[in-house]
Amino acid sequence: MNGWLWAAAVLVVALAPLLWVTVRLPAPEGVVAVEAAGVDATMALLLVARGTDREPFADLALVLAVVSFVGAIAYLRFVEVLRD
Amino acid sequence: MLRDVVMWLLAGAGVALQVLVCLGVTLMRDALDRLHYASASTLGVACLCGAVLVRDPASLIGLKTLLTGAFLLLTGPVLVHATARAIHLHREAEARR
Repeated sequence: MNGWLWAAAVLVVALAPLLWVTVRLPAPEGVVAVEAAGVDATMALLLVARGTDREPFADLALVLAVVSFVGAIAYLRFVEVLRD
Repeated sequence: MLRDVVMWLLAGAGVALQVLVCLGVTLMRDALDRLHYASASTLGVACLCGAVLVRDPASLIGLKTLLTGAFLLLTGPVLVHATARAIHLHREAEARR
């Protein structure tokens, strides 16, 4: 394992507390942890791509960044529309 | 040599910032405090993408890193604003009930 993969491993371990917060909190507050987890996982995938020299992981990181953003915005819109 | 030092400094700072973000989101009690820490992840993104770009700027992985980093840096503030607005409106609606 090289330094890039060790850095990716640290970021993957850091996802665990975010998962715990997401499960524990009620709906609108928990989305903050989901957003942070999306960025964290995206960075982990980029580091894996660099560490293994495999481009598909970088593709995955880009797709995850877009899907994470669109999903979070859609969910927040849903929360706003249904608040009353 | 100098390039390696800069690369590992950026990578270490990026990982440390991301871990700090995770700890802040986990340990803070209020949703807006959590959001404050989550917004700091743009710094970690900048450092980590910078480290990858210093390692090899002229490759496909470098190009995709640039795209991903630019996307996260541009959409991060939008997401934080939308989240803060949704939490605020949700709390107002809860207070009216």
